[in-house]
Amino acid sequence: MVDMLSAVIDSINRNLLEGGAYLSVLEGLRVTVSISVQGLLLGTLVGAVLCWLRISKIPVLSSSAQCVVVVLRGSPVLLLLMLLYYVVFAKSRVDPVGIAVLAFALNSGAHIAELMRSALEAVDKRQLEAARMLGFSRAKAFVAITLPQAGKIARPVYQGTVVNTIQWTSVVGYVAITDLTRTVNNIGNRTGDPFFSLFCGVMIYLGLSYLVHALFSIGGGRAEER
Amino acid sequence: MIRLAGVSKRFGRVDVLKHVDAHVAKGECVALIGQSGSGKSMLLRSIAMLERPDSGAIYIDGTDITAQGVNLNQVRESMGMVYQGFNLFSHLNVLDNITLAPRWIKRQGRTQAEARAIELLSMVGLADKAHSFPHQLSGGQQQRTAIARCLAMEPQIMLLDEPTSALDPAMTSEVLSIIRKLTRMGLTMLIVTHEMAFAQDVADRVFFVAEGTIYEQGTPQQIFENPGRDKTRAFITRLKTFSHEIRSLDFDGVSLNAQIEMFCKKYAIEQQRIYRVQLVLEELLVMIFTQCYQHETPNVEFTMAYSQEQDDITLDLVFKAAEFNPFAPQGGDSDDLGMLLVRNYAKQCGHAFSQGSNRVTINI
Repeated sequence: MVDMLSAVIDSINRNLLEGGAYLSVLEGLRVTVSISVQGLLLGTLVGAVLCWLRISKIPVLSSSAQCVVVVLRGSPVLLLLMLLYYVVFAKSRVDPVGIAVLAFALNSGAHIAELMRSALEAVDKRQLEAARMLGFSRAKAFVAITLPQAGKIARPVYQGTVVNTIQWTSVVGYVAITDLTRTVNNIGNRTGDPFFSLFCGVMIYLGLSYLVHALFSIGGGRAEER
Repeated sequence: MIRLAGVSKRFGRVDVLKHVDAHVAKGECVALIGQSGSGKSMLLRSIAMLERPDSGAIYIDGTDITAQGVNLNQVRESMGMVYQGFNLFSHLNVLDNITLAPRWIKRQGRTQAEARAIELLSMVGLADKAHSFPHQLSGGQQQRTAIARCLAMEPQIMLLDEPTSALDPAMTSEVLSIIRKLTRMGLTMLIVTHEMAFAQDVADRVFFVAEGTIYEQGTPQQIFENPGRDKTRAFITRLKTFSHEIRSLDFDGVSLNAQIEMFCKKYAIEQQRIYRVQLVLEELLVMIFTQCYQHETPNVEFTMAYSQEQDDITLDLVFKAAEFNPFAPQGGDSDDLGMLLVRNYAKQCGHAFSQGSNRVTINI
């Protein structure tokens, strides 16, 4: 028992404290969170635009949006990231983090477009008609009826997409970004004790998921009260 | 108030509305009756421009609302529509359902809108449900909320599209009593309904809709007591009678008995009497089958009617066969017990034969 405890303390010392390793872990976490948050914000915007094009009544717009969504959803985000990094922006001096943000924005945007579309379609059209009969314009009815109801339907799926995206950002090490995953991997390589540092990484990602879950619960609770 | 001039609408090859002309005066209550799919709802939806007519014009207070450039949102503010499925806003509680439109469209303050909403809720008897959500209410309560939601916009016209069709009898009557209140408020109302007694009672005029047009119109008395045209007459008669054709010895007797029971229940006929009707019919059918249809397929038409004035159920059996009078004394005594039963239950029996067709009439 005492042996085990001292082994753990030793691991913490070697992996997290020696040479201020915890500082690099925090920096890695900052990079991960930064790419995730920016990617998701931009992705939500991309998703909204794609969704809007997808449900438009102009066939060219709708089918090209559908095409984009299918390609983005159907290809691994890592390949998209590498394509952007090694091909599209190979000659320009764009910050790799910026490229990662773009890749995750496109990938999550495609998923978000689909979840928005299915949520919008799930809203009861008859309630919309009832609103129109009360004198609501199309736009006002959308804001007052469709949006809050679609939001409620989309919330759990959106939460899943957020968590997924955060986890997928762990591949950005491939394009020379030092994020959380890469940091804990480096530490493991240096100390020759990969288990402990990788385990710490897992726990941090788990913590992020729970944080997302908590944020959504607070937001959701508020929506219920209204 | 409302005038329709040559309103037509077609879906594909089907003419749903064919050149409908109508006029509804201010404060009038008009009931639209007719078979399912006759175009009643379509007519109502056209008046709200939820379905744009292919041709013709609809005048509300003298303004043609089918014209280009008419602000339909504004037109609809003066109309309230009540649906069969209530269509309350599911994400809002009762109070917010009612105040949403006044606040968003009429730009009323929250306090003013809520005060009015509470007034309306007490009028429809739901003051204590202000903070419930639609899914927590019964159908009748939801429909009353929907009516209050319309009234909050102070409409001049109320369009009610089968407001009680999704409700059980108890809830139906609670909603009907509210609609009755509306008629006294001087609203112009159009009601699509299958509640004939209600239509007869509250409507100033009745439109019988058939063949995509207003086939016949008149006061409830004219339409229900003395319809002038064939289809109206057939429709009104069918309301008061039940008929069934029997074309096989293996006909579905269980379903027939269930339908008889449903018809009788509409008139609150007691269960014992329903049994008698079913028993008498069964005995007669057995007699007719054994006597007339041993080798041929049966051809029997059964009709039953109930007269409330005389509290009298009339069963009518018409069958094409050689002359056969079940009430005449038969040789042998095989069927005597059945006959005894029929005679015992019947107030009156009769038989007639003409042109290869027997007619047996029994009053119970």
